[in-house]
Amino acid sequence: MPADERRAERSGGARVSSFHRPDPAVLVKEALERNADDVDALFVLAALKVQGGDVREGLSILDRVLRIDPAYPGGWLFKAKLHGMQGEDGAARSARRRAEEAEG
Amino acid sequence: MIDPPNVMKLKVCMAGEGAVGKTSLIRRYVLDEYEDRYTATLGTKITKKTVSTKDSAGTPVSVSMILWDIMGTATLRELLKEAYYHGAQGILAVADLTRRETLVDLDGWARSIRSVAGDIPTYAVLNKADRDADRRLPHAEAEAFFRERDWPWTYTSAKTGAGVEEAFRGLVDRVLAWVL
Repeated sequence: MPADERRAERSGGARVSSFHRPDPAVLVKEALERNADDVDALFVLAALKVQGGDVREGLSILDRVLRIDPAYPGGWLFKAKLHGMQGEDGAARSARRRAEEAEG
Repeated sequence: MIDPPNVMKLKVCMAGEGAVGKTSLIRRYVLDEYEDRYTATLGTKITKKTVSTKDSAGTPVSVSMILWDIMGTATLRELLKEAYYHGAQGILAVADLTRRETLVDLDGWARSIRSVAGDIPTYAVLNKADRDADRRLPHAEAEAFFRERDWPWTYTSAKTGAGVEEAFRGLVDRVLAWVL
């Protein structure tokens, strides 16, 4: 076993090497099992849905994030981007305005 | 009567692959704490710290730093770059001296941030200096890499605290020289 992994195992931490990085989808699943309203996990889940081609589902999850935490960092700008991808220009503009308000 | 210092807000984005120590560096810098157990960052964490410094004319400046700690997942980087990097004024680029590839990967992170925030100042660190026995990145290679990009840099150890204050200070000074 490489020194990196021996050290991580001794300390009880995750094993970290260039070949053994945590998969975001797994981290999201674990976090949501612990807390279904975990905004960080929901934000990443929204991104993973969009990356997988389901923008509508990503937006729905992102809306949930912003209901729980209207000041989630980058949340409104991401929403603006997703509405833009859907051709929803008015909603994109509105989200961008909210981003400016949220981030001052 | 002494005039109050100028106050400026400064958005700094941490850049670098997963597990290079971005979260640990912020934790050491802001709280002077270190957690040995690795926990991957999900989403974004924002931490604030105010520092007092002087601009190039010697005028006192109070800098309210907003440190954006962003998950080190390159596959989601392009999708989320506007959300993360909009308005950023400085980059703290972090590589891990025990994983050579994390140095080269910094180009991708810097490129992504600059595509949104413009050509903002960058300060680089080679983290995990306490693990020199596991080093996979020669000093000369790091020096050449950073010199070619004109990124000042230093070694850091979030574990011991070595170099951490210097790195954040270095970035603040570089940004102040750029914006003022």
